[in-house]
Amino acid sequence: MGTEVNDESRWKAWTDNMVKLKINGQEVEIHRESTILDAAKSIGVTIPTLCYIDGLEAYGGCRMCVVEVEGVSRLQTACTTKVNEGMVVVTESDEITKTRKAMLEFLLINHPLDCHVCDKAGECLLQDQVARFGASEGRFAERKRRHRENMDDPFIVRNMQRCILCTRCTRMCDEGQGAYAISVTGRGAHSYIETFSHDKYDCEYCGNCLTVCPVGAIMSRLHRHNYRPWYVEKEIETVCGFCGVGCTTFIQMRASAIIRTIPKIGTGLNKGLLCVRGRFGYDYIESEARLKTPLIRKNGVLEPATWDEAIEYITAALKDIKSKHSAAAIGALASGMCSNEDNYMLQKLIRFVIGSNNIDSTARLSYAPAKTYIERIFGPGATANAIADIEKSDGIFVAGGDPTAINPVLGVQIRSAWRQGAKVVVSGQPGGLRSVINYYLSSVPKHEETVLSTIVTGLAEVKGFSGANPFIEQKIKALRQPCEPELKATAVMLEDMEEAIDDLSRLKRPVVVIGPTLMHSGVPSKKLFLVAAIAYLIDAKIFLLSKKPNFRGLLDMGCVPDAIAGGAPVTPGQLKLKTGVTLTLPEQKGQKGMNIFEMLDGALEGSLKALYVMGENPVFNLPDREKTRRALSALDLLIVQDIFMNETARLAHVVLPAAAWSEKDGTMTNLEGRIQFLRKGSSVSAGKSEWRVIADIAKALGMNETYSDSKEVWQEITQVSALHLRAEYEEIKDGGLMWPYGSVQSECVAADFVVEGLDQLPKVHKACVEEPGTLPLKLPYKLILLPERSLFHSGSTTRQSKAILKVAPEPFLAINPEEAARCGLHSEDSVRVTTDKGSVEVKLKIVRDCPDGAAILSNTFENVSFNALLGYAVDPVLGAMVYTDNEVQIEKV
Amino acid sequence: MNKIILRNIENPNSHCIEEYIKAGGYKALERAVNEMTPRDIIDDINRSGLRGRGGAGFSTGLKWQFASLDPKFPRYIICNADEGEPGTFKDRVILERNPHQMIEGMVISAYALQSIRGYIYLRAEYPHVEKILNDAIEEAYENGFLGNDIMSKHFRFNLSVHRGAGAYICGEETSLINSLEGKRGEPRVKPPFPVNAGAWSKPTIVNNVETYANITYIVETAPRTYKLLGTKDSPGTKLFCVSGAVNKPGVYELPLGTPLREIIYNHCGGIRGGRALKGVIPGGLSTPILTPEHLDCHMDYVGLVQHGSMLGSGAIMVFDDTMCIVKIYERAMRFFEHESCGKCTPCREGTGWMRTILGRIEDGMAEMEDLDTLEDVANNVVAKTFCPLGDGAAHVLLAAMKHYRTEFEYHVKHKKCEAADPSQKWGQK
Repeated sequence: MGTEVNDESRWKAWTDNMVKLKINGQEVEIHRESTILDAAKSIGVTIPTLCYIDGLEAYGGCRMCVVEVEGVSRLQTACTTKVNEGMVVVTESDEITKTRKAMLEFLLINHPLDCHVCDKAGECLLQDQVARFGASEGRFAERKRRHRENMDDPFIVRNMQRCILCTRCTRMCDEGQGAYAISVTGRGAHSYIETFSHDKYDCEYCGNCLTVCPVGAIMSRLHRHNYRPWYVEKEIETVCGFCGVGCTTFIQMRASAIIRTIPKIGTGLNKGLLCVRGRFGYDYIESEARLKTPLIRKNGVLEPATWDEAIEYITAALKDIKSKHSAAAIGALASGMCSNEDNYMLQKLIRFVIGSNNIDSTARLSYAPAKTYIERIFGPGATANAIADIEKSDGIFVAGGDPTAINPVLGVQIRSAWRQGAKVVVSGQPGGLRSVINYYLSSVPKHEETVLSTIVTGLAEVKGFSGANPFIEQKIKALRQPCEPELKATAVMLEDMEEAIDDLSRLKRPVVVIGPTLMHSGVPSKKLFLVAAIAYLIDAKIFLLSKKPNFRGLLDMGCVPDAIAGGAPVTPGQLKLKTGVTLTLPEQKGQKGMNIFEMLDGALEGSLKALYVMGENPVFNLPDREKTRRALSALDLLIVQDIFMNETARLAHVVLPAAAWSEKDGTMTNLEGRIQFLRKGSSVSAGKSEWRVIADIAKALGMNETYSDSKEVWQEITQVSALHLRAEYEEIKDGGLMWPYGSVQSECVAADFVVEGLDQLPKVHKACVEEPGTLPLKLPYKLILLPERSLFHSGSTTRQSKAILKVAPEPFLAINPEEAARCGLHSEDSVRVTTDKGSVEVKLKIVRDCPDGAAILSNTFENVSFNALLGYAVDPVLGAMVYTDNEVQIEKV
Repeated sequence: MNKIILRNIENPNSHCIEEYIKAGGYKALERAVNEMTPRDIIDDINRSGLRGRGGAGFSTGLKWQFASLDPKFPRYIICNADEGEPGTFKDRVILERNPHQMIEGMVISAYALQSIRGYIYLRAEYPHVEKILNDAIEEAYENGFLGNDIMSKHFRFNLSVHRGAGAYICGEETSLINSLEGKRGEPRVKPPFPVNAGAWSKPTIVNNVETYANITYIVETAPRTYKLLGTKDSPGTKLFCVSGAVNKPGVYELPLGTPLREIIYNHCGGIRGGRALKGVIPGGLSTPILTPEHLDCHMDYVGLVQHGSMLGSGAIMVFDDTMCIVKIYERAMRFFEHESCGKCTPCREGTGWMRTILGRIEDGMAEMEDLDTLEDVANNVVAKTFCPLGDGAAHVLLAAMKHYRTEFEYHVKHKKCEAADPSQKWGQK
């Protein structure tokens, strides 16, 4: 009853703000904050526009959208004029037609009309409008404005002769992307769009300015003279395959090749924004390095084979190992790059066909343990929040990584919220948030806990306890307030922390963003608990950054050692599906399988004999590369299913070419828990969908079910997984299906959890107290090595993208200017980085944002990579991977 | 003579605070702070009928009233000293010779609107004025007329000078605010108006230098006294800056409503060299030109509109018969083209196009149909631009073409200027 009244009053408030007006004689009722253009749109009246674009502030510059308003002598621009009660609007009249014609004539006088060589021709808004509303002949007989075509940038060509100065690009850059990389410069007709860095763009290369340019003024250099709108034979709406955000993107195909991937303004959760990887990075699909045929190792050499041979080989070897050892000697690694169907099928093969629970993925390094931990504290669904809420939030706490690099479009929402007045508090590397930070609370390495503890105890004091979750409250109460020397050692000002606490405590719609770095150092459970405590005290929505597009999906699909699809525990028994299929859960010692770390140890010890690696490169993606290499080499059977011959595939006994992102159908679950369709663009590929190959293997091993397409796989998932019970294929419409997928959201039951070292804080070295902010100087001076979270690269796929390599071509080591001065190093120096695990030579970059006492090393390239130099340990409480041996020595070569 | 702004102009040290105080300065502020409530001041300004002296002639009292009704704080007080209208140099005289009267007006406004921060947006071309203003502001601080405890009344107002970068468009209030905020100087969408969402989206009033100087006088005396000057619709005096072909060009403070003929022939001593008058631009370059028939018009907000022009900034430019209208407007259009910010299509492209056609007419390279094109282009610009800049540019050209059509046609037909044609009686150019 209460809610009804509430709804009614809200409805009344809304209707009170409604006004009625007439457009072309038709009555419209619309909210009073709307413009005439909105009102016209709502009744299907089209008003031509050029500078207007949905989602950006109206500009009113092009003067195309003029309309007549009764009682107003001048024509009014529909995009900027707010509606009024009783307004009478006419959108078509002789004067309006004449004005539109005149505006187009004006626009063309300085436009080169080089449509025959302009790639935009055919989808040029100016061209379309001139054809519809323009004069058939021009009268301009004077000289046109001239601009040199700017080819200084690897991605973006600026042809300022064509520019009509609608400023869609600068508004997109400022308001949409929040990058502030371009601006209008010059006066009057001599104005043009210029980058602040002048020649090359020094920006995030999101390319969103390309999307909005209505003419051929800002164009993609990668598509120069090889893209024409009429080349597009097929356009497929799909979900981007680069990170956990899951942006909606459109693949434009010509024959079997991708011509472009583009977003569309207003579509998807990204509302038409993309990042550099999503827009330009897709060309790895057409890389020469793609695997073209299955390979089988014969006499130590991988040799081409047919699919039948490969499947026969795999089945025989798996049967052999199962009979010689046991099913528990077989394991698999699932992939965050693959679809739900792929991951489900792999899980089915390992768990229900072979009978082993040994399945895991690199989500284990941080995403999976963090998600499990957070859900244990707050209940399931704690991390399933809509990304759109970030933009609407009034305060964001970011810990453990730069969202604008890991999940760029999510990061953009933070900047957008900040522009609307939200407070941004950052603990960790600021990266792309650097210009929007209200409180920068990053401590020197190893002292993050102290800062977080201060915030939690401070917030607890201000906000008090609600009693909603006794477990977490009891642990917050047990926290020790950091003492002065401990605070000093963090190099964060106490006043900053106090002000941040003050602001955080006042938030109404707060958001907490947790990145992977939080879990990779120190005591991960303590740090994650502290961030969770902040979220609890201010009642924030939690977002867990996900590097790979389907980390969440693979967890839901049961690619974990201790749960089947949907999260049910792996209790031995039988699962009877509606279709009559019976699935048998394996009986394994300890009732749960080995995780990724245990599998590697198992391989070294001899308890694991076979590993199926799907779309993953553990040799590259795990630290302690030598150990991983040794472990994988010790296996009797290593099956690698991938699109490239990577470091792991080189060790394999069988290599299976896989279908790339654009070559398969299926579903993906993004970090919000939204299921979206992945759709096939290209049909021609040497590889096959992972799930299909796995199904073939499973069939050869005795599986009865057959599947004709990925939809049938999904149907089985909805029967196996309790979570997806109602997630029928038909329910996943455009915009995706959000968690909890039509099921009733179970009551949030919080459970007790373990925190390591609750009352302990990082030890303070004497030198830190005497001179705050400095690390104890040991000779030779050592820095803490951190991995680069690159905006441009995502693991080993993007190093096959020629486009991405143009802007981020080589590995580097970054340190801040103070550290550089301390070590006597200069930008572009060749330096040698040495750890206990090895050493590499790399170019030095000086970056202001690097934390004190730390060095950041690329983690993308084959020869120089972060993971090769470090060791790791597994956190006993969280189960996350913690870097060890990360103190490095840097010397000039 | 009833001078209210140039009262002490004869005093060579009129810009110094001692001289200003000696002549009764800062009495208005004292009166405002001690005897009046903010509401009283706004009411008085409203009652005085004061209209903005920047050009548009909007009621100052009404503007303040709107700002005072907006509950948002802080509020900003801005003085528009970006005197960019060609032919205008009146604010310069106030800034150089009587800056305290303007500052006092600003402090009174701040008191009336409970603002704590003010800016004087000074045009880039007045570098020497910056020093004068800064000195005056410093003097005002020293004497307790500015600062955190003005006249020991716990009333706080801080004021500083912000230099523009040389754009005409920044005289338009929303562009000025953009520029002040550090953004590109181009006009903003209105509404919201600056009184509700101006500088940093807070209520902001932007008034002209001369307006603030008037405010001091109104508060010092009374609205009734003020209304004795000028006409019913346009009370007060106005600084007229007369330039061009007159014997005594300069700044004249005269009551509003003074006939144009009286200004040119009595105050300014008639046309230079006893020549014939060709035309007068009455209120700055962006007001339409008047012909000798209009000489009897009254120089006020209403009188000029009746004759198809506007009072504008009060910059009277006088042209005699040796001057070429095509050349004048070619030069004017060059200015508007250069000063167009480029935001809206018709102004950005139209001003340049009109300038090139005018150039061809001037150079004898035009055909008869070019005149029609020019007129049509100007008509396509009028009332279609984002702000008054392009609108004004086209408007004044249309007026000139209407009044001096024959001269334009002569140019096209004879490929030379009528005024410079030796066969004509007016002689050499």
